[in-house]
Order: sequence, then structure tokens, then C-alpha cells
Amino acid sequence: MAELTQTQELRENQDVLLEINNLTVVYKSDEEIVHAVNGISFQVGVKETIGLVGETGAGKTTTALSIMRLLPERTGFIEGGEILYNGMDLVTKPQNEMRMIRGSLISMIFQDPMTSLNPIMTVGDQIYESLEIHNTDNKTRQQLDERVNELLTLVGIQPRRKKEFPHQFSGGMKQRIVIAIALACEPQLLIADEPTTALDVTIQAQVLDLMRELKEKLDTSMIMITHDLGVVAETCDKVAIMYAGEIVERGSVEDIFEGKQHHPYTEGLFGAIPNLEEETDRLSPIDGLMPNPTDLPSGCKFHPRCKYCMDICREQVPPVYLEDGHMIACHLVVKED
Amino acid sequence: MSKYIFKRLLIVIPTMLAVILIVFLLMNLTPSDPASVILGPNATQEAKDKLNQEFGYDKPVLVRYFDYVVNLVQGDMGTTYTTSRSVFTEVTMRFPTTLKLAAIGITLAVVLGVPLGIVAAVKQYSIFDIIGTATSMFMASVPGFWLGLMLILLFALKLGILPSYGNATWVHYILPSVTLALPVAASILRMTRTTMLESIRQDFVRTARAKGQIERKVIFKHALHNALLPVVTVAGTEFGFLLGGAVVIEQVFSINGVGKLLLEGIRMKDVPLVTGCAVFICFLFMIVMLLVDILYAYIDPRIRDRYTRA
Repeated sequence: MAELTQTQELRENQDVLLEINNLTVVYKSDEEIVHAVNGISFQVGVKETIGLVGETGAGKTTTALSIMRLLPERTGFIEGGEILYNGMDLVTKPQNEMRMIRGSLISMIFQDPMTSLNPIMTVGDQIYESLEIHNTDNKTRQQLDERVNELLTLVGIQPRRKKEFPHQFSGGMKQRIVIAIALACEPQLLIADEPTTALDVTIQAQVLDLMRELKEKLDTSMIMITHDLGVVAETCDKVAIMYAGEIVERGSVEDIFEGKQHHPYTEGLFGAIPNLEEETDRLSPIDGLMPNPTDLPSGCKFHPRCKYCMDICREQVPPVYLEDGHMIACHLVVKED
Repeated sequence: MSKYIFKRLLIVIPTMLAVILIVFLLMNLTPSDPASVILGPNATQEAKDKLNQEFGYDKPVLVRYFDYVVNLVQGDMGTTYTTSRSVFTEVTMRFPTTLKLAAIGITLAVVLGVPLGIVAAVKQYSIFDIIGTATSMFMASVPGFWLGLMLILLFALKLGILPSYGNATWVHYILPSVTLALPVAASILRMTRTTMLESIRQDFVRTARAKGQIERKVIFKHALHNALLPVVTVAGTEFGFLLGGAVVIEQVFSINGVGKLLLEGIRMKDVPLVTGCAVFICFLFMIVMLLVDILYAYIDPRIRDRYTRA
């Protein structure tokens, strides 16, 4: 019921571009089944940026690849739920229709710019390729070439360098090229999978600034996948905190950074950030490790690591607590209520 | 780039000197002498000594080596002991046959190996992959002469549709070149499969899919192009070996190629002939390897950069 009110609320306030309902994704191999994403739901509004935050293995990238329908063919399966893009379900779309959406309406920036460019194609050709695939209004070669120059200028690279190969660029420059490829057809939704993780801190800031600037310019919605809360604070409107394939807390940036109540996992994440003002000898990391996704704990999946763990947490899946669009899935919060 | 090629050509000289030395030393280690082989067991010692002296075989091995190199530099590969013909003529006369055989063999091997390797990788664990991998394993482990004999049995003896020996017409080339090609195709298949499997898991292949590129272009334009280097190496090396004369196969099919010539030379202890063959084969092999390296630069811009910087 609570979920429904939120959806309605969002629809009234803002147009929803992407709506994910109860998405479940598994990786199957001969020996085991990995439960990577377990029934998550969230919405992305037009021009909105949502941050997906969580540790490695929380299911962030799997969620992104599911939206793109680029899960590994033989092993990755969407078991349930729907991914509604402008009202059409991407889960049931045939691959050839999905191909027309990829790169033109929804684009993705990958984590490691060192490996995500083809080493033996010039960067110009790689941007050109993207334009050529979705060249529905039959632009001439020359027009497309000009667009390549335009895109390179847009991301701050001199167009005369388009004949060069990826190895002739630095990491930050490569990520700019990856961004140019992703934005080539002016997509409505951009999925950025840890776009700055592989970069130096100074370059990180530059790339983030660039992404924010371009997003404004092109009116793009964005899903920002990261484990860096600093990046979230800087770029996102909304945040979803993921743990073991579930969203444990979701809300506006203000809700997450300044709200009174939090999921214990979110608290733990903030506790693990060094504070410049307070003097502490040690950071307080969250004890334990992420549960094995082939064998998830019963009840609340965070209970083995939770310092507030109660009996009920071991047995029952926590209910959803919702207040003004701030969602927390925890027994503790509901009880206090 | 031209500087790099020049450097590589210079390396040919010391390699050649070493190869000739090894051939001379090895030939010297084997028992008997040319005159005894040519004149037969009933010849007198006197006659044998006289003939050996004519060949210059009475001199110490290092002196003969030195003489040979001096002559070679002047473009003289000497005359054979057995036929007294110019070694150069003997080798170049036989070479077109070997070249034809090698060229057909390597073309067949690439045409078979590369596409099957791609299919095996793209459809990993499918029936194509299993059959392809198993067959290639079998082909790679089967000895060439056995394969040749089996093919002769089947196509020449039982079915009677192909000739079993000689090299008179193009039909004669079918069985030997298939025999040469199958094991090479097997190793090219395995190499293509391995590098393609690695390549299709690369991030940039995922980037290509994320652009909305069609699967055929993802595989050929992005994955295959990046998987080519090791395949080119294998194909190039194998071609080099084939140019050296498929000694066993030429024997099996009685083909008068360089390989058969080399074998005759060794049997007759014909030092100039054997050395001539070795020099020729070694030179060709190094040229082929140089071409492979130049092809690398053409395929991969990173290597091109390295060459121009070096």
C-alpha cells in the first residue's frame, strides 16, 4: 500500500521515465544459483538523478545491466518484476528492439575507461560507430563527422585528436571519450556505473563536473552507481541504498544525509567515512562481510551484521516504513513508530 | 617503421652464420664421409681419399665452414657432391613445388580453422564447440605420415578418386595439402577459440553492445579483430615451417620438394646440399616472421607505435 502511494505521489509531481517494480535477477550455473537482485523497486523521474549506493556485490551493476538487457546470456536471468521505460516493459522486449533502445534512448558508462574502449579503433571511429548505428534520419557521412567533432569539443577534447587511439589518451581523457560515446545520440537515460572509481581523485572531480554539466545541458536522467557517498552528495537528487540485492533505504539526498531515522546499514556506511572535523583514532567499519548471495540469511538480510538485531529480524522480512517518500525497510524503525 | 625493418633484416646475418655452423658441426658428427657413400662399400681407401680431397672434405670442419661462408657471401652456394650441379639450381628447382604445397596448405588451414574457432567460441559448450574442440584435439595429436597414409588408403585405394603420389597436376596436390592443412587447422582453431573467448568477455565488447551494435558486428569488428594477433602468429609460424618443406609428407606422397631434397642430401652426406637447403629454409622462415611482425603493426596501433619509437 505504502509503495503505491509513493508511485502516485511521484506521478503527480513529476513524469516518471523509468519505473522498476519488484525486479529479481539471478545468475545460474551448474552448481549454484546466485541471488543478485531480490525484488527491488524504484523510479527515476525525467531529468532526475538517482544514486544506487552499496558495497561491491550488492547488485548495483546487475541492476544496471538488467535495464540495458546486457546480462551475460547463458548465466544471467531476470526472474521476475518489470522495468517500465516510458510505460513499456523492457523485460519482455525482443533483443532486436532492445538494440534500438540501447545507445539511443538509454546509454551506459562503464567503470573502467582503460578497458571499455576498443584498443585498435580510433576514438573518432568509436564515437562515429554509435552515431551510425542510430542514424535513423539518414545523415551524411560528413554530417556525422561534424557531430563527432562537436561531441569531442563537448567533453573537452580537441577534435583533431579523433584519429588517435585509446592508448594515446590518459585515463580521465578516456572516460571523457566514453562519456562522448554514451551521449552521442542524446539519450534520455544515462546509467553511470562507478564512472570515477578507476580515476585519480582530482580527475574524478573534473569528470563528475563534466557529467553534471552535460546532464543539465541535455536534460538527461541519470542512474549513478557508486559506493562513494561523496559522489552521491554532489550529483544525486535521490538515493537508494542497496544491500544483498535489496534496497534497504531510499529517499531524497536530504533524507539520506540529514534525515533523523536511518537503516542501520546506512548508519554503518556513514560511520565508515572519515570526518574532517571530529578527531577519531579509528574509522568504525561495519563488522562482518556481505552474505553469500547463494545462501542468503533468513528474515532481514542484514541481521547477522546489525548491532540492533532483534529476534524478529532473524525470522521475518522487515516491513517497509515510508514517510514523505523516505523509505526504510527495518523492524527497528517500524517498532519505534 | 623502415628503421625497424632494416634492424630486423640485419639480425638475419648472425642467425644465418649460426645456422650454417650448426649444420656443419652436426654433419661432421655423423659417421662416414661423402666419398664412402657415393663410391659404395667396395671402393678402395685410395679412391675414397681422392674423391674426398676433390670435395675439399679432407680439410678440418671449421676451415670448411669458413670457406663456405666466404663463398656464400660472394653468392656461391657451391655444387652438390652427388650430382655436381649448382646447389642454388637444385633448391630453386624444387622450391615452387614446396611453395605451392605450403600456400595451399596454409590457406586451407586458415579457411577451416578461423571460422570454426569463432563458432566454437561464440557458441561455447554447444555441440559445435564440443565437436570442433574434440576433432582439433584429435587432428593435432595424429602424426602427419599416418594421416597421409590413411587418406591415401581411403581416397586413392578404396575410392580411387585421387592420385596417391607425384605432383603432375593440381589434383595431385589435394591429398598432400589436406594432410598438411588438417593439423595446422586444428592448432589455428584452438588458438582462435581461446583468444576469441578471451576477447568476447572484454569490456569494450560490452561497450559495443551497449551502443546497440548488431551482434554480427560486435563479434567480427570488435572481438575478432582484437583476437587476431595470436592467430596470425600461429598461422605465420606454421607457414614458415611448411615452406621449409614438409619433409615427412613429401616423402609419403613422393613429391619432389625441398623437404625431400634435404632428406636425400642428409642420406648422401652431401654437405653443400644440406647446408644450401638449410640456408634457404632459414632465410625464408625469417622473412615470413618479419612479415608477421609487420602484419602485427598493421593490426594493432599500439605495436605500430612501439615500432616507430624503437
